[in-house]
Amino acid sequence: MLTFTLRRLLLAIPTLLFISLIIFLLVDLAPGSPMSEIPLTVPPEVRQKMIEALGADQPVFVRYILWLRQFFWVEPATLMDGWFGSHLAGDEQRILSWQSRSPVFTVIGQRIPQTLTVIGTAYLVGIMIAMPIGIYSAYRQYSAFDQLGTLVAMIGFSVPTFFTGTLFIIIFAVWLGWFPTKYDTTLEVTDWASFILQLKQMAMPVMVLGLANAAAISRYMRSSMLENMGQDYVRTARAKGMTERVVVLKHVLRNSLIPVVTVIALGIPSIFGGAIITENLFGVNGIGAALIGAIHANDLPMVQTLAFIFAVLIVLFNLIADVLYGLLDPRIRYE
Amino acid sequence: MKLKSALLGAACAFAMAPAAFAERGTDGEVKLTFPQAVSIMNPYLSSGTKDIYASSMVIEPLAGYDDAGTLIPKLVSEIPSFENGGISEDLTTITWKLLPGLMWADGSALTAADVVFTGQYCMDPAGGCAQLSKFDGIASIEAVDDLSVKITFTAPKPNPFNAFVGSTSPILQKAQFEACLGAAAPTCTDQNSMPIGTGPFKVTAFTVNDTVSMEANANYRDPAKPAFASAVIKGGGDAEGSARAVMETGEFDYAWNTQIPPDSQAAMAAAGKGQFVVAFGTLVERLEMNMTDPSADLPEGERSTAKHPHPFLTDINVRTALSMAIDRQILTEVGYGAGGAPTCNVVPAPAMYASDNTACLTQDIEGAKALLESSGWVDSDGDGIREKDGKKLSILYQSTVNPIRQDFQALIKDWWSEIGVETELKAIDPSVFFGGDAGSPDTFQKFYADVEMYANNFDGTDPEAYLTQYKCDKAPSPENQWQGENMNRFCDPAYDAMVSELSGTRDAAKRAELAKKLNDMVTKDSRIVVPLVHRGTLSAHSNALGGVKINAWDTELWNVADWFRVK
Amino acid sequence: MRDTSPPALVQVDGLKMYFPIHSGVLRRHTGDVKAVDDVSFSINAGETLGLVGESGCGKSTVGRALLRLYEPTAGRVIIDGEDIAQLSSEALRKKRPTMQMVFQDPQASLNPRMSLSSIIGEPLVEHTPMTAAERQGRIYELMDQVGLNRRFANRFPHEFSGGQRQRIGIARALALNPKFIVCDEPIAALDVSIQAQVVNLLEDLQEKFGLTYLFISHDLSMVRHIADRVAVMYLGRIVELSPRDDLYARPLHPYAEALLSAVNEPDPDRAKTRKRILLKGDLPSPANPPKGCNFCTRCPKVFARCLTEKPDLVHVEYGRQVACHLFDPINTASGSTGGSEDQEHLQHGVTQ
Repeated sequence: MLTFTLRRLLLAIPTLLFISLIIFLLVDLAPGSPMSEIPLTVPPEVRQKMIEALGADQPVFVRYILWLRQFFWVEPATLMDGWFGSHLAGDEQRILSWQSRSPVFTVIGQRIPQTLTVIGTAYLVGIMIAMPIGIYSAYRQYSAFDQLGTLVAMIGFSVPTFFTGTLFIIIFAVWLGWFPTKYDTTLEVTDWASFILQLKQMAMPVMVLGLANAAAISRYMRSSMLENMGQDYVRTARAKGMTERVVVLKHVLRNSLIPVVTVIALGIPSIFGGAIITENLFGVNGIGAALIGAIHANDLPMVQTLAFIFAVLIVLFNLIADVLYGLLDPRIRYE
Repeated sequence: MKLKSALLGAACAFAMAPAAFAERGTDGEVKLTFPQAVSIMNPYLSSGTKDIYASSMVIEPLAGYDDAGTLIPKLVSEIPSFENGGISEDLTTITWKLLPGLMWADGSALTAADVVFTGQYCMDPAGGCAQLSKFDGIASIEAVDDLSVKITFTAPKPNPFNAFVGSTSPILQKAQFEACLGAAAPTCTDQNSMPIGTGPFKVTAFTVNDTVSMEANANYRDPAKPAFASAVIKGGGDAEGSARAVMETGEFDYAWNTQIPPDSQAAMAAAGKGQFVVAFGTLVERLEMNMTDPSADLPEGERSTAKHPHPFLTDINVRTALSMAIDRQILTEVGYGAGGAPTCNVVPAPAMYASDNTACLTQDIEGAKALLESSGWVDSDGDGIREKDGKKLSILYQSTVNPIRQDFQALIKDWWSEIGVETELKAIDPSVFFGGDAGSPDTFQKFYADVEMYANNFDGTDPEAYLTQYKCDKAPSPENQWQGENMNRFCDPAYDAMVSELSGTRDAAKRAELAKKLNDMVTKDSRIVVPLVHRGTLSAHSNALGGVKINAWDTELWNVADWFRVK
Repeated sequence: MRDTSPPALVQVDGLKMYFPIHSGVLRRHTGDVKAVDDVSFSINAGETLGLVGESGCGKSTVGRALLRLYEPTAGRVIIDGEDIAQLSSEALRKKRPTMQMVFQDPQASLNPRMSLSSIIGEPLVEHTPMTAAERQGRIYELMDQVGLNRRFANRFPHEFSGGQRQRIGIARALALNPKFIVCDEPIAALDVSIQAQVVNLLEDLQEKFGLTYLFISHDLSMVRHIADRVAVMYLGRIVELSPRDDLYARPLHPYAEALLSAVNEPDPDRAKTRKRILLKGDLPSPANPPKGCNFCTRCPKVFARCLTEKPDLVHVEYGRQVACHLFDPINTASGSTGGSEDQEHLQHGVTQ
């Protein structure tokens, strides 16, 4: 297993380098210029000067090599300097956002907390809702509960989050006045009152995303359970005279969890990716909102860095999912 | 006169002060929300309106514009003029006199050196300054003494109020930005997100594209202001969400740029928590009439050129009838609600330049029919379309892909069919329409249609350059690679002469008179431009927020120091 | 054996197993798949009843319904004095140790995430008060009995060969000292060389522990080897139930005849003389069986009555029951293998 993991990690290096080049070229070739948001009243020569100041006029490969150097040397060195007070990075230029002229990693650092709190909680809530629903729906297939679960899952799947989000805002914020519509990122949880405030402002985005997540995961859980429910070994367990609890929760569930756990692990990068629409709607302003904002503004360094970080996370969590599969399923062994 | 108005303004402020608020920082927190989040607090590195507005609470220019578009002093004692000797007779220098005793938020003194430095900062060729055009034609900026700054121009400058005027070119603190000149400008992250200013607030925390937290500037020049102890600008979301946060949930006091459909506006206003306010600048949605023949039968290179006059739009009666048939009130209600107003002017504002041209505001279908009838356009073959000399009133009407514009097209097509004019509609992708690609047949400059609709405006308060667009030689043609702003190919020597007269005129009243005349020549006299709706920027403020005066000529937050909590 | 006629351990009476068909938008109940349609038989203690038939004839369903792994639609299944079909779920669970099952696919029937010792040990935890050490001892004992090396105790099912897995399945079934074991095609998934080993193991165990088997198989030669009596099923019904030797020597029902004609005859002389009967057509759908005799669509000896009237399973010779209009029922005396219940059923059939 260790050699397998190491081999996969080594293999990931060229893969990721290749991905980074592809992303860089794609983002660069995409139409639009970093000046596209600037009003037409700014004359062309001023635009040209601004582009030069950003370094955006350099050939694409020069910029790519520079970005690689910044990403793999300057940024880690800056991080080390921050931790150990060393002076590895010196005066070297960090990756700067074209939009805000601040280091991309500073922006990411500012945004990770709310993304992880809100989107992460939503993911957990989604899983916690989905599991029992999926299990019970499968156990009582075609029952009223299952039909209701299917209906809710269908709604969760097909109704876009901007719709549920707006609906929730109108019901819970406008009519009932329970929750705020805009997430306050400056709120610090220091005592019970601020904790309640934090819960309140998280409630709506977590509900919206949790519903969407739960819909998907409960379906996975249900189908995986159904697949195992019909297996002979379940019949064996019943024939052994095991209680239904043991049959369902021990035999069926444990085997059914294997693919579901993998799906959940594969979904984790999407937590870091944030939820573009939901973050925007509730003003959570996490990574997702940063990405969409950067795309709108053609902020190439920001888009490139975020996209590459997602690529790293996806490769990493694919590996984690594979390793988990190996740990959970004795039939699978990696050499 | 300028001095008088300045004094008047000051007097007003003093008169209001005791009534509204007694002390600085007594009204708690004011919360603003922008649909686009603030990226940077330095307008020299961004021309995004959101960034300019947010930074205007912290850093200030020497002078700004009030809600009527009049120049008002901010960091100076008076607006330079010929009368007070601030502007030289040959129009090549302007001298600003700083108010004595001004302090930066950090307690240090503001001097002429800071102003000189700011000019140097933006004019550095490696700095990529977004407001460089504000500093066009400046030969030098020098500190005459600690409180006087003299700007010398390379050539006479009829309008010297560009650099350091308005929220797009505020004064930066030399001590803070000294290390940020040229190529280093973008790397000064801390300076760019937390500039030290002279404005009513100072930044306490800044998260990129999310939140700006501010507190009252202890060194603000008016000791009684601002009334609020702190301010917060939360960014992100959309216009609808921002409007809702003010108008329905009351979480925020002020939301900028809340342009939402009229029915949503009405529903939100009904909640009774706040109100919409509109900043009317100079943006006008209009129809442009093609005076040349766009017929596809003509050889390429001759379509829509002066060689072939338009078969029927050259008849002023037809253009007038087309204008008369339109109900601008309905268009405004359908498209913009409170965010628009019907207009007959190309130059709808500022007030001193706006002509009293209102005749077109009432729809007159019968009048239009009668006009066409009397000028010989009759439906002789009974197909519902009028014709004359074998020429049918059949119009190709183009615009960009945009839901409001498609609504307008449909409504106008209906009205025109009522008066016996057949209309074919065409919607073009905005990036193509405005793209200016000489190879594309669908640009607004090529104008391969009879009528086209779009919106245009002008920068600042002076319409001279804007009105120059309708001169004969500004017509796009194959000879100039279809560049130019005179889409109509309108050509009137009297108009050209009057434009020349305008550029030679210095007296404000006279200029206004000429501008109104020029406006009338292209609108009510000739109907080559048929203005429809004067479009504004819709913002919303809570009923608990007092002192808001919407301003289209400068930052909407121009008087944020005067805002107070309604109790 | 006939003479001793021990009491029946398993008594099945009028067992029906219908699977409902739902169709349409509203998923209305529009019909049934009659997988098992009115099946009655009995198995004496220590006896092996073979159940044969084509795939899809419902024989596996009989096995599962017998142990109530399916909820039977109708009928009685009396095992060791209790009607399995009527027991509450808790009582049924308590009853489970008495009756066990060996499944066709040893791979699928073993939980892939459990080690061999936990597979065998799990029912012991549930149904016995054994300590961990006692349990471990019992697991080893069972592994010895089925011929598995004790070293394998902590391995997972996928690490074993098919034959070994079936031994695990058998050990597991034996763990609670059952009286009755349903062997549902226990050798179908195994190599021919392994099949004999497993069948021999089953026979040895039967001898050792006095087990009663229902041996379900489509392999007629293996059934001939292990079974005392054989029931032949066709389309959810038993068409013939006869002692093994009688059946193999002289099948009565036309279907049994056709089925047996396909078996390899070990005696070359007899093989020469025998001709194979080839059935025409396909098995009808159990959702829509023929109106008369289920076999009437393919029977080489079909006549008018077969098309309209379903024949009952009746005694036609001493100890032999056939469901065919070609044979007339005889009035059997007591002492038949069927027992009293069977007779009642028979008489019921006659009077109808």
